[in-house]
Amino acid sequence: MLDFTILSENMDMFMEGFKTTLFVSFLALISSFVLGTILAIFRIAPIKPLNWIGGIYVEFIRNIPILIILFFIFTGLPVLGIRLSGFTAGTIALTVYTAAFIAEAIRAGIMAVPKGQTEAARSSGLNYVQTMWYVILPQAIKIVIPPLGNQFINLVKNSSILTIVAAGELMYQGDLISSRTFVTFDVYIFVAIFYLIITIPLSLGVNYLEKHLAKSN
Amino acid sequence: MIHFENVNKHYGDFHVLQNINLNIKKGEVVVIIGPSGSGKSTLLRCINRLETISTGSLKINDVEVNSKKTDINKLRKNIGMVFQHFYLYPHKTVLENIMLAPVKVLGKSKEEAKKTALYYLEKVGIPDKANSYPSQLSGGQQQRVAIARGLAMSPEIMLFDEPTSALDPEMIGEVLDVMKNLAREGMTMVVVTHEMGFAREVADRVIFIDKGQILEDANPNEFFTAPKEERAKLFLSRIFNH
Repeated sequence: MLDFTILSENMDMFMEGFKTTLFVSFLALISSFVLGTILAIFRIAPIKPLNWIGGIYVEFIRNIPILIILFFIFTGLPVLGIRLSGFTAGTIALTVYTAAFIAEAIRAGIMAVPKGQTEAARSSGLNYVQTMWYVILPQAIKIVIPPLGNQFINLVKNSSILTIVAAGELMYQGDLISSRTFVTFDVYIFVAIFYLIITIPLSLGVNYLEKHLAKSN
Repeated sequence: MIHFENVNKHYGDFHVLQNINLNIKKGEVVVIIGPSGSGKSTLLRCINRLETISTGSLKINDVEVNSKKTDINKLRKNIGMVFQHFYLYPHKTVLENIMLAPVKVLGKSKEEAKKTALYYLEKVGIPDKANSYPSQLSGGQQQRVAIARGLAMSPEIMLFDEPTSALDPEMIGEVLDVMKNLAREGMTMVVVTHEMGFAREVADRVIFIDKGQILEDANPNEFFTAPKEERAKLFLSRIFNH
Protein backbone atom coordinates (compact mmCIF):
# COMPACT_ATOMS: atom_id res chain seq x y z
CA MET A 1 0.00 0.00 0.00
CA LEU A 2 1.26 3.48 -0.82
CA ASP A 3 2.53 5.46 2.12
CA PHE A 4 0.59 8.72 1.91
CA THR A 5 2.37 10.21 4.89
CA ILE A 6 5.42 10.54 2.64
CA LEU A 7 3.30 12.75 0.43
CA SER A 8 1.71 14.82 3.17
CA GLU A 9 4.87 15.30 5.18
CA ASN A 10 6.83 16.46 2.12
CA MET A 11 4.06 18.28 0.36
CA ASP A 12 5.94 21.58 0.30
CA MET A 13 8.87 19.96 -1.55
CA PHE A 14 6.62 18.11 -3.97
CA MET A 15 4.75 21.32 -4.68
CA GLU A 16 7.98 23.25 -5.10
CA GLY A 17 9.17 20.66 -7.63
CA PHE A 18 5.81 20.54 -9.35
CA LYS A 19 5.74 24.31 -9.80
CA THR A 20 9.31 24.39 -11.06
CA THR A 21 8.68 21.60 -13.57
CA LEU A 22 5.55 23.36 -14.73
CA PHE A 23 7.41 26.65 -15.10
CA VAL A 24 10.43 25.15 -16.89
CA SER A 25 8.13 23.22 -19.23
CA PHE A 26 6.05 26.29 -19.97
CA LEU A 27 9.08 28.47 -20.74
CA ALA A 28 10.75 25.79 -22.84
CA LEU A 29 7.50 25.02 -24.64
CA ILE A 30 6.99 28.61 -25.76
CA SER A 31 10.61 29.24 -26.69
CA SER A 32 11.14 25.90 -28.44
CA PHE A 33 7.97 26.48 -30.44
CA VAL A 34 9.21 29.90 -31.56
CA LEU A 35 12.74 28.66 -32.27
CA GLY A 36 11.43 25.52 -33.98
CA THR A 37 9.13 27.55 -36.24
CA ILE A 38 11.99 29.84 -37.23
CA LEU A 39 14.23 26.83 -37.95
CA ALA A 40 11.50 25.17 -40.02
CA ILE A 41 11.15 28.32 -42.11
CA PHE A 42 14.94 28.46 -42.47
CA ARG A 43 14.88 24.92 -43.83
CA ILE A 44 12.33 25.63 -46.53
CA ALA A 45 13.01 29.28 -47.34
CA PRO A 46 14.24 29.89 -50.89
CA ILE A 47 17.61 31.07 -49.52
CA LYS A 48 20.39 28.48 -49.55
CA PRO A 49 22.47 29.68 -46.56
CA LEU A 50 19.35 29.63 -44.36
CA ASN A 51 18.61 26.08 -45.52
CA TRP A 52 22.10 25.07 -44.46
CA ILE A 53 21.86 26.70 -41.05
CA GLY A 54 18.49 25.05 -40.41
CA GLY A 55 19.68 21.69 -41.69
CA ILE A 56 22.89 21.67 -39.69
CA TYR A 57 21.09 22.70 -36.50
CA VAL A 58 18.44 20.02 -36.79
CA GLU A 59 20.77 17.19 -37.78
CA PHE A 60 23.32 18.10 -35.14
CA ILE A 61 21.01 18.67 -32.20
CA ARG A 62 18.51 15.88 -32.68
CA ASN A 63 21.27 13.31 -33.06
CA ILE A 64 23.01 13.95 -29.77
CA PRO A 65 21.69 13.17 -26.28
CA ILE A 66 20.00 16.01 -24.44
CA LEU A 67 22.29 15.28 -21.50
CA ILE A 68 25.31 16.36 -23.51
CA ILE A 69 23.59 19.60 -24.48
CA LEU A 70 22.78 20.23 -20.83
CA PHE A 71 26.36 19.54 -19.71
CA PHE A 72 27.70 21.70 -22.47
CA ILE A 73 25.59 24.65 -21.33
CA PHE A 74 25.97 24.10 -17.60
CA THR A 75 29.61 23.05 -17.32
CA GLY A 76 31.01 23.97 -20.75
CA LEU A 77 29.93 27.58 -21.07
CA PRO A 78 31.52 28.68 -17.74
CA VAL A 79 34.87 28.02 -19.45
CA LEU A 80 33.94 30.90 -21.73
CA GLY A 81 32.92 32.98 -18.73
CA ILE A 82 29.18 32.36 -19.08
CA ARG A 83 27.85 31.05 -15.80
CA LEU A 84 24.19 30.03 -15.66
CA SER A 85 22.04 28.64 -12.88
CA GLY A 86 20.81 25.06 -13.14
CA PHE A 87 17.33 26.37 -13.83
CA THR A 88 18.42 28.66 -16.67
CA ALA A 89 20.85 26.18 -18.20
CA GLY A 90 18.21 23.47 -18.02
CA THR A 91 15.53 25.60 -19.66
CA ILE A 92 17.91 26.55 -22.46
CA ALA A 93 19.00 22.92 -23.00
CA LEU A 94 15.39 21.78 -23.19
CA THR A 95 14.58 24.58 -25.63
CA VAL A 96 17.56 23.92 -27.87
CA TYR A 97 16.90 20.18 -27.94
CA THR A 98 13.12 20.25 -28.40
CA ALA A 99 13.31 22.97 -31.07
CA ALA A 100 15.08 20.55 -33.42
CA PHE A 101 12.20 18.09 -33.24
CA ILE A 102 9.58 20.81 -33.47
CA ALA A 103 11.32 22.23 -36.53
CA GLU A 104 11.07 18.86 -38.24
CA ALA A 105 7.40 18.47 -37.33
CA ILE A 106 6.55 21.95 -38.60
CA ARG A 107 8.60 21.52 -41.75
CA ALA A 108 6.72 18.31 -42.52
CA GLY A 109 3.45 20.16 -41.89
CA ILE A 110 4.38 22.98 -44.24
CA MET A 111 5.44 20.52 -46.93
CA ALA A 112 2.09 18.76 -46.58
CA VAL A 113 0.16 21.88 -47.60
CA PRO A 114 -0.53 21.53 -51.34
CA LYS A 115 1.85 23.50 -53.54
CA GLY A 116 -1.14 25.05 -55.27
CA GLN A 117 -1.91 27.03 -52.12
CA THR A 118 1.42 28.81 -52.44
CA GLU A 119 0.89 29.34 -56.14
CA ALA A 120 -2.59 30.77 -55.62
CA ALA A 121 -1.35 33.15 -52.93
CA ARG A 122 1.79 34.21 -54.79
CA SER A 123 -0.06 34.73 -58.05
CA SER A 124 -2.40 37.16 -56.28
CA GLY A 125 0.59 39.34 -55.44
CA LEU A 126 1.22 38.28 -51.84
CA ASN A 127 4.93 38.11 -51.08
CA TYR A 128 6.70 35.07 -49.61
CA VAL A 129 6.30 36.12 -45.98
CA GLN A 130 2.63 37.06 -46.38
CA THR A 131 1.96 33.77 -48.15
CA MET A 132 3.58 31.87 -45.30
CA TRP A 133 1.83 33.82 -42.59
CA TYR A 134 -1.71 34.10 -43.95
CA VAL A 135 -2.02 30.99 -46.09
CA ILE A 136 0.50 28.23 -45.39
CA LEU A 137 1.19 28.31 -41.64
CA PRO A 138 -2.49 28.35 -40.56
CA GLN A 139 -3.01 25.20 -42.60
CA ALA A 140 0.26 23.60 -41.55
CA ILE A 141 -0.47 24.10 -37.88
CA LYS A 142 -3.49 21.82 -38.07
CA ILE A 143 -1.43 19.07 -39.64
CA VAL A 144 1.31 19.62 -37.11
CA ILE A 145 -0.73 19.53 -33.90
CA PRO A 146 -0.55 15.77 -33.20
CA PRO A 147 3.25 15.48 -33.68
CA LEU A 148 3.71 18.78 -31.85
CA GLY A 149 1.70 17.42 -28.93
CA ASN A 150 4.06 14.46 -28.75
CA GLN A 151 7.03 16.80 -28.62
CA PHE A 152 5.50 18.87 -25.83
CA ILE A 153 4.79 15.75 -23.79
CA ASN A 154 8.38 14.61 -24.36
CA LEU A 155 9.56 18.03 -23.28
CA VAL A 156 7.77 17.78 -19.92
CA LYS A 157 9.24 14.33 -19.33
CA ASN A 158 12.70 15.35 -20.52
CA SER A 159 12.68 18.17 -17.98
CA SER A 160 13.43 15.44 -15.41
CA ILE A 161 17.08 15.42 -16.48
CA LEU A 162 17.36 18.87 -14.95
CA THR A 163 17.74 17.05 -11.65
CA ILE A 164 21.38 16.61 -12.63
CA VAL A 165 22.03 20.35 -12.49
CA ALA A 166 19.92 20.79 -9.34
CA ALA A 167 17.30 22.90 -11.04
CA GLY A 168 14.85 22.18 -8.23
CA GLU A 169 12.18 20.52 -10.37
CA LEU A 170 10.05 17.48 -9.54
CA MET A 171 12.62 14.77 -10.15
CA TYR A 172 15.19 16.66 -8.10
CA GLN A 173 12.80 17.07 -5.17
CA GLY A 174 11.92 13.39 -5.43
CA ASP A 175 15.59 12.47 -5.24
CA LEU A 176 16.03 14.69 -2.19
CA ILE A 177 13.03 13.24 -0.39
CA SER A 178 13.96 9.64 -1.11
CA SER A 179 17.58 10.05 -0.06
CA ARG A 180 16.51 11.72 3.15
CA THR A 181 13.73 9.27 4.07
CA PHE A 182 15.13 6.13 2.43
CA VAL A 183 11.71 5.58 0.89
CA THR A 184 12.19 5.11 -2.84
CA PHE A 185 9.25 3.21 -4.27
CA ASP A 186 6.47 5.42 -2.89
CA VAL A 187 8.31 8.67 -3.50
CA TYR A 188 8.87 7.96 -7.17
CA ILE A 189 5.29 6.83 -7.61
CA PHE A 190 4.15 10.20 -6.29
CA VAL A 191 6.67 11.94 -8.55
CA ALA A 192 5.25 10.01 -11.50
CA ILE A 193 1.72 11.04 -10.52
CA PHE A 194 2.76 14.70 -10.47
CA TYR A 195 4.19 14.31 -13.99
CA LEU A 196 0.92 12.75 -15.09
CA ILE A 197 -0.97 15.72 -13.68
CA ILE A 198 0.87 17.83 -16.27
CA THR A 199 1.09 15.44 -19.20
CA ILE A 200 -2.41 13.96 -19.22
CA PRO A 201 -4.23 17.30 -19.52
CA LEU A 202 -1.66 18.26 -22.16
CA SER A 203 -2.43 15.09 -24.05
CA LEU A 204 -6.18 15.63 -23.77
CA GLY A 205 -5.78 19.26 -24.80
CA VAL A 206 -3.94 18.22 -27.95
CA ASN A 207 -6.66 15.70 -28.77
CA TYR A 208 -9.30 18.36 -28.28
CA LEU A 209 -7.47 20.88 -30.48
CA GLU A 210 -7.01 18.24 -33.15
CA LYS A 211 -10.75 17.50 -33.28
CA HIS A 212 -11.78 21.11 -32.92
CA LEU A 213 -9.53 22.40 -35.69
CA ALA A 214 -10.37 19.52 -37.98
CA LYS A 215 -13.98 20.70 -37.86
CA SER A 216 -13.20 24.02 -39.52
CA ASN A 217 -11.90 22.17 -42.56
CA MET B 1 -0.07 43.62 -73.85
CA ILE B 2 1.48 40.15 -73.46
CA HIS B 3 4.45 39.71 -75.69
CA PHE B 4 6.43 36.46 -76.16
CA GLU B 5 9.51 36.72 -78.31
CA ASN B 6 11.55 33.61 -79.11
CA VAL B 7 10.77 32.15 -75.72
CA ASN B 8 12.35 28.82 -74.88
CA LYS B 9 12.07 26.77 -71.74
CA HIS B 10 13.97 23.67 -70.76
CA TYR B 11 13.41 21.25 -67.91
CA GLY B 12 16.84 19.63 -67.93
CA ASP B 13 17.01 17.94 -71.34
CA PHE B 14 13.32 18.39 -72.00
CA HIS B 15 12.55 21.29 -74.31
CA VAL B 16 9.09 22.28 -73.00
CA LEU B 17 8.61 25.49 -74.95
CA GLN B 18 10.28 26.01 -78.31
CA ASN B 19 10.65 29.40 -79.91
CA ILE B 20 7.35 30.79 -78.76
CA ASN B 21 6.29 34.00 -80.47
CA LEU B 22 2.96 35.30 -79.38
CA ASN B 23 1.30 38.67 -79.01
CA ILE B 24 -1.85 39.12 -77.05
CA LYS B 25 -3.62 42.45 -77.26
CA LYS B 26 -5.71 44.19 -74.64
CA GLY B 27 -9.23 42.79 -74.54
CA GLU B 28 -8.38 39.67 -76.50
CA VAL B 29 -9.62 36.25 -75.45
CA VAL B 30 -7.03 33.68 -76.41
CA VAL B 31 -7.69 29.99 -75.97
CA ILE B 32 -4.74 27.62 -75.88
CA ILE B 33 -5.46 24.03 -76.78
CA GLY B 34 -3.31 21.01 -77.41
CA PRO B 35 -2.68 17.45 -76.28
CA SER B 36 -1.64 16.83 -72.70
CA GLY B 37 2.04 17.40 -72.04
CA SER B 38 2.26 19.78 -74.98
CA GLY B 39 3.36 22.69 -72.81
CA LYS B 40 0.15 24.72 -72.80
CA SER B 41 -0.06 25.07 -69.03
CA THR B 42 3.64 25.86 -68.86
CA LEU B 43 3.16 28.59 -71.43
CA LEU B 44 0.34 30.07 -69.35
CA ARG B 45 2.29 29.82 -66.09
CA CYS B 46 5.23 31.70 -67.60
CA ILE B 47 3.04 34.78 -67.94
CA ASN B 48 2.95 35.38 -64.17
CA ARG B 49 6.31 33.71 -63.56
CA LEU B 50 5.02 30.64 -61.78
CA GLU B 51 7.47 29.17 -64.30
CA THR B 52 10.60 30.94 -65.45
CA ILE B 53 11.72 30.99 -69.06
CA SER B 54 15.17 29.82 -70.17
CA THR B 55 15.80 32.19 -73.09
CA GLY B 56 13.98 34.85 -75.04
CA SER B 57 11.86 37.74 -73.91
CA LEU B 58 8.46 37.81 -72.27
CA LYS B 59 6.99 41.23 -71.62
CA ILE B 60 3.76 42.40 -70.07
CA ASN B 61 2.95 46.04 -70.78
CA ASP B 62 6.62 46.43 -71.74
CA VAL B 63 7.85 45.05 -68.42
CA GLU B 64 10.25 42.14 -68.74
CA VAL B 65 8.70 39.37 -66.60
CA ASN B 66 11.94 37.52 -65.89
CA SER B 67 14.14 40.52 -65.25
CA LYS B 68 15.69 40.70 -61.80
CA LYS B 69 14.67 44.36 -61.62
CA THR B 70 10.99 43.54 -62.04
CA ASP B 71 8.94 43.65 -58.87
CA ILE B 72 7.13 40.38 -59.44
CA ASN B 73 4.49 41.03 -56.77
CA LYS B 74 3.57 44.30 -58.42
CA LEU B 75 3.29 42.56 -61.76
CA ARG B 76 1.24 39.70 -60.35
CA LYS B 77 -1.40 41.88 -58.74
CA ASN B 78 -2.35 42.93 -62.24
CA ILE B 79 -2.76 39.31 -63.41
CA GLY B 80 -5.49 37.12 -61.94
CA MET B 81 -5.12 33.38 -62.10
CA VAL B 82 -7.63 30.55 -61.87
CA PHE B 83 -6.41 26.99 -61.39
CA GLN B 84 -7.76 23.59 -62.31
CA HIS B 85 -8.10 22.61 -58.66
CA PHE B 86 -9.35 26.03 -57.47
CA TYR B 87 -6.88 26.28 -54.58
CA LEU B 88 -9.19 28.26 -52.36
CA TYR B 89 -7.76 28.74 -48.87
CA PRO B 90 -9.59 26.05 -46.87
CA HIS B 91 -9.17 27.80 -43.50
CA LYS B 92 -10.82 31.01 -44.69
CA THR B 93 -14.43 31.75 -45.54
CA VAL B 94 -15.40 32.64 -49.09
CA LEU B 95 -15.38 36.32 -48.17
CA GLU B 96 -11.96 36.08 -46.49
CA ASN B 97 -10.59 34.23 -49.50
CA ILE B 98 -11.58 37.10 -51.76
CA MET B 99 -10.54 39.86 -49.34
CA LEU B 100 -7.04 38.63 -48.48
CA ALA B 101 -5.05 39.98 -51.41
CA PRO B 102 -6.94 43.29 -51.79
CA VAL B 103 -6.31 44.04 -48.09
CA LYS B 104 -2.73 42.80 -47.86
CA VAL B 105 -1.44 43.67 -51.33
CA LEU B 106 -3.49 46.68 -52.40
CA GLY B 107 -3.82 48.03 -48.87
CA LYS B 108 -7.60 48.39 -49.08
CA SER B 109 -9.57 48.82 -45.90
CA LYS B 110 -11.56 45.81 -44.68
CA GLU B 111 -14.91 47.50 -45.39
CA GLU B 112 -13.88 48.46 -48.87
CA ALA B 113 -12.51 45.00 -49.62
CA LYS B 114 -15.68 43.42 -48.30
CA LYS B 115 -17.80 45.60 -50.54
CA THR B 116 -15.73 44.63 -53.56
CA ALA B 117 -15.83 40.97 -52.57
CA LEU B 118 -19.62 41.00 -52.27
CA TYR B 119 -19.89 42.75 -55.62
CA TYR B 120 -17.90 40.04 -57.36
CA LEU B 121 -19.68 37.25 -55.51
CA GLU B 122 -22.92 38.70 -56.83
CA LYS B 123 -21.37 38.74 -60.26
CA VAL B 124 -20.40 35.07 -60.19
CA GLY B 125 -23.86 34.27 -58.86
CA ILE B 126 -23.26 33.05 -55.30
CA PRO B 127 -23.67 36.03 -52.93
CA ASP B 128 -25.39 33.74 -50.40
CA LYS B 129 -22.20 31.73 -49.88
CA ALA B 130 -20.13 34.64 -48.55
CA ASN B 131 -19.71 33.17 -45.08
CA SER B 132 -19.35 29.51 -46.08
CA TYR B 133 -16.08 27.64 -46.06
CA PRO B 134 -14.79 26.27 -49.36
CA SER B 135 -15.40 22.68 -48.24
CA GLN B 136 -19.12 23.47 -48.00
CA LEU B 137 -19.32 24.42 -51.68
CA SER B 138 -19.64 22.34 -54.83
CA GLY B 139 -16.75 22.29 -57.29
CA GLY B 140 -18.50 24.71 -59.61
CA GLN B 141 -19.17 27.12 -56.78
CA GLN B 142 -15.58 26.88 -55.59
CA GLN B 143 -14.30 27.71 -59.04
CA ARG B 144 -16.63 30.68 -59.27
CA VAL B 145 -15.28 31.93 -55.93
CA ALA B 146 -11.76 31.48 -57.32
CA ILE B 147 -12.72 33.65 -60.29
CA ALA B 148 -14.19 36.29 -57.97
CA ARG B 149 -10.99 36.14 -55.92
CA GLY B 150 -8.98 36.89 -59.05
CA LEU B 151 -11.30 39.69 -60.17
CA ALA B 152 -11.29 41.41 -56.78
CA MET B 153 -7.76 42.61 -57.51
CA SER B 154 -9.11 44.43 -60.61
CA PRO B 155 -6.48 42.84 -62.83
CA GLU B 156 -6.00 43.72 -66.47
CA ILE B 157 -5.34 40.10 -67.39
CA MET B 158 -6.98 36.87 -66.26
CA LEU B 159 -5.29 33.51 -66.75
CA PHE B 160 -7.30 30.29 -66.66
CA ASP B 161 -5.50 26.96 -66.35
CA GLU B 162 -8.01 24.25 -67.30
CA PRO B 163 -10.68 25.83 -65.09
CA THR B 164 -13.34 23.20 -65.81
CA SER B 165 -11.23 20.03 -66.01
CA ALA B 166 -11.80 19.04 -62.39
CA LEU B 167 -15.55 19.68 -62.43
CA ASP B 168 -18.52 17.39 -62.76
CA PRO B 169 -20.07 17.81 -66.22
CA GLU B 170 -23.15 19.44 -64.69
CA MET B 171 -21.08 22.24 -63.19
CA ILE B 172 -18.98 23.12 -66.19
CA GLY B 173 -21.71 25.33 -67.65
CA GLU B 174 -21.98 27.64 -64.66
CA VAL B 175 -18.24 28.34 -64.69
CA LEU B 176 -18.11 28.83 -68.45
CA ASP B 177 -21.02 31.27 -68.22
CA VAL B 178 -19.07 33.42 -65.78
CA MET B 179 -16.08 33.34 -68.10
CA LYS B 180 -18.21 34.24 -71.11
CA ASN B 181 -19.59 37.28 -69.32
CA LEU B 182 -16.10 38.32 -68.41
CA ALA B 183 -14.99 38.02 -72.02
CA ARG B 184 -17.92 40.11 -73.16
CA GLU B 185 -16.94 42.85 -70.74
CA GLY B 186 -13.59 43.12 -72.46
CA MET B 187 -11.27 41.33 -70.03
CA THR B 188 -7.99 40.19 -71.52
CA MET B 189 -8.09 36.43 -71.03
CA VAL B 190 -5.71 33.58 -71.71
CA VAL B 191 -7.46 30.27 -71.27
CA VAL B 192 -6.04 26.75 -71.38
CA THR B 193 -9.01 24.45 -71.84
CA HIS B 194 -10.44 21.39 -73.50
CA GLU B 195 -13.83 23.04 -73.87
CA MET B 196 -14.03 23.39 -77.63
CA GLY B 197 -17.51 24.89 -77.48
CA PHE B 198 -16.15 27.71 -75.33
CA ALA B 199 -13.22 28.23 -77.67
CA ARG B 200 -15.48 28.38 -80.70
CA GLU B 201 -17.98 30.72 -79.12
CA VAL B 202 -15.84 33.11 -77.10
CA ALA B 203 -12.26 33.06 -78.31
CA ASP B 204 -10.83 35.74 -80.54
CA ARG B 205 -7.95 33.44 -81.32
CA VAL B 206 -7.16 29.80 -80.85
CA ILE B 207 -3.57 28.74 -80.31
CA PHE B 208 -2.81 25.10 -80.99
CA ILE B 209 0.33 23.88 -79.34
CA ASP B 210 2.08 20.52 -79.57
CA LYS B 211 5.47 19.39 -78.26
CA GLY B 212 6.19 22.90 -77.07
CA GLN B 213 5.60 24.57 -80.41
CA ILE B 214 2.78 26.81 -81.56
CA LEU B 215 1.44 25.04 -84.63
CA GLU B 216 -1.62 27.15 -85.29
CA ASP B 217 -2.63 30.66 -84.36
CA ALA B 218 -5.97 31.34 -85.98
CA ASN B 219 -9.44 32.64 -85.37
CA PRO B 220 -11.72 29.89 -84.06
CA ASN B 221 -13.81 29.62 -87.20
CA GLU B 222 -10.78 29.03 -89.33
CA PHE B 223 -9.24 26.67 -86.84
CA PHE B 224 -12.25 24.44 -86.30
CA THR B 225 -13.41 24.28 -89.91
CA ALA B 226 -10.10 24.23 -91.75
CA PRO B 227 -7.07 23.54 -89.58
CA LYS B 228 -3.86 23.84 -91.55
CA GLU B 229 -1.62 21.48 -89.65
CA GLU B 230 -1.94 17.68 -89.82
CA ARG B 231 -1.40 17.42 -86.07
CA ALA B 232 -4.24 19.85 -85.38
CA LYS B 233 -6.55 17.93 -87.74
CA LEU B 234 -5.76 14.69 -85.94
CA PHE B 235 -6.30 16.33 -82.53
CA LEU B 236 -9.67 17.74 -83.55
CA SER B 237 -10.84 14.50 -85.12
CA ARG B 238 -10.01 12.64 -81.91
CA ILE B 239 -11.87 15.16 -79.81
CA PHE B 240 -14.98 15.35 -81.95
CA ASN B 241 -15.31 11.70 -82.98
CA HIS B 242 -15.71 9.82 -79.79
